[in-house]
Amino acid sequence: MTQPLLQVNDLAVRYGDVQVVWKADLVVEEGAIVAMIGSNGAGKTTLLRAISGMLPPYGGEIIFAGEIVPASAPPEFVRRGLIHVPEGRRLFARLSVWDNLMLGAYLRDDKAAIRQDVERVFALFPRLRERRWQDATTLSGGEQQMCAIGRGLMAAPRLLIIDELSLGLAPRVVDELVDALRKVNAAGTSLLVVEQDVATALEFADHAYIVDRGRTVASGTAAVIAADPAVRTAYLGL
Amino acid sequence: MLWLQVLVNGLALGGLYACIAAGFSLVWGVLNIINILHGSLIVLGGYLAFFAHLQLGISPFLFAPIAGMLLFLPGFAIQRVIISPVMARPVLMTLVLTFGLTLFLDNLMLVAFTADYRKINLQPPLGVLEFGDVVLPLDRLYATGIGLVSVGALWLVLRSTQLGRAIVAVRMDRDAASLMGINVRLTHAIAFGLGTAMAGVAGALLAAIFPISSLSSSGYLGKAFVICVLGGLGSVPGVVLGGFALGVIESYGALAVGPENALTMSFLLLIALLALRPTGLLGRKGFT
Repeated sequence: MTQPLLQVNDLAVRYGDVQVVWKADLVVEEGAIVAMIGSNGAGKTTLLRAISGMLPPYGGEIIFAGEIVPASAPPEFVRRGLIHVPEGRRLFARLSVWDNLMLGAYLRDDKAAIRQDVERVFALFPRLRERRWQDATTLSGGEQQMCAIGRGLMAAPRLLIIDELSLGLAPRVVDELVDALRKVNAAGTSLLVVEQDVATALEFADHAYIVDRGRTVASGTAAVIAADPAVRTAYLGL
Repeated sequence: MLWLQVLVNGLALGGLYACIAAGFSLVWGVLNIINILHGSLIVLGGYLAFFAHLQLGISPFLFAPIAGMLLFLPGFAIQRVIISPVMARPVLMTLVLTFGLTLFLDNLMLVAFTADYRKINLQPPLGVLEFGDVVLPLDRLYATGIGLVSVGALWLVLRSTQLGRAIVAVRMDRDAASLMGINVRLTHAIAFGLGTAMAGVAGALLAAIFPISSLSSSGYLGKAFVICVLGGLGSVPGVVLGGFALGVIESYGALAVGPENALTMSFLLLIALLALRPTGLLGRKGFT
């Protein structure tokens, strides 16, 4: 049996004395697109921060590509190919689009492959090529998200985690991003996406998890989750 | 012609002043630390150049980059061992800490080198360039030129190397930088080391022109502070602008109110500038 790319077992996360994630179990199979949905304050972002090493877990374990990742700083996760595109894009101000993309490849030294990956990002998002010398934080919201995703791709991820893919973006832009991410996925990168637009998320993903009050309360294929009456009333407003 | 001479005197110090402030500005901008130790490190660089000249006969201009290299590692270690544990604390904590370090280093130098003013005597003297009535001492021209080249080198490192991008990224957003795989603590130590290296370069160049003493660190710190505020914090072009501005202001100040009051005048100007344009001439509002 093949092991999953990412397996999160019984994860608990605290900010000081405040426990935000109580019990999260999550599996991302190699090549999958997994969506994580849930209301504001359910603990989705906190869970992602723990999965990418930004917060040390209070309990539980994170197994990536068959190895338990020790509780350490993000560089250890980045080195293994687990890349987190944070909520709010968090592009580096005063640095150009090009510099931002290059920072995505910070831990790599395979120059030729980095060049290739830049071309790949520009092919995916042609507008980034046009604006590559521009301060990244002066781009439009959609272009910033493209740049943030492109920066993530520059790390040659095995798993790309995207927090709030569509927040604040026009539907047309979201479609463009989803199309691009499908291509990324088809090329072999697994995706874990947090998305507040549940309808979009369930259309995009193969598999979905529902997070509520710090726990993963339900999971299944996107079609099954979308058909769940509780999900339909709580998240889709149907 | 006097006015022109005074202008040349000021400009001839500008590059050196930029070099004095560059490391201070880098550390302040990237680590959010007001490094009070900077002035003492400049003096230490000056002593290194003095003894290199006295014992080994190395010209301070040649020695300047070596002084920079020699001071990188101590700076790296000071950040890693002493400052890093309190990095997360309010800025006042690191300010007090570096103040303590500067007292320590100043007194150490006092014991080791005494408080006597010492001056490097270049043999033979470099002489002057003459343009009609205007005179430009060559030692100042060299010091300012090498100072500018050093600041330019720092700028190139920050602009076009992966290390430089990482330093800027850490300055802009520490969390996002760590998501790129950047080791933020290591980058902080390297940035601090680069700051002390620049202090070493500046000290060696200063020693080529001015007498140095163990007790002169606060004057250099004050200059670095004024230059940063004049030019705007955390920008290399700002430091160059601020350096030349301070050089010219001091020079005309010395002419107008006497050399003994020149520094007072630049601090008065600093206060006026803080009141009218708190972000500096090239600075932007806010920290990011």
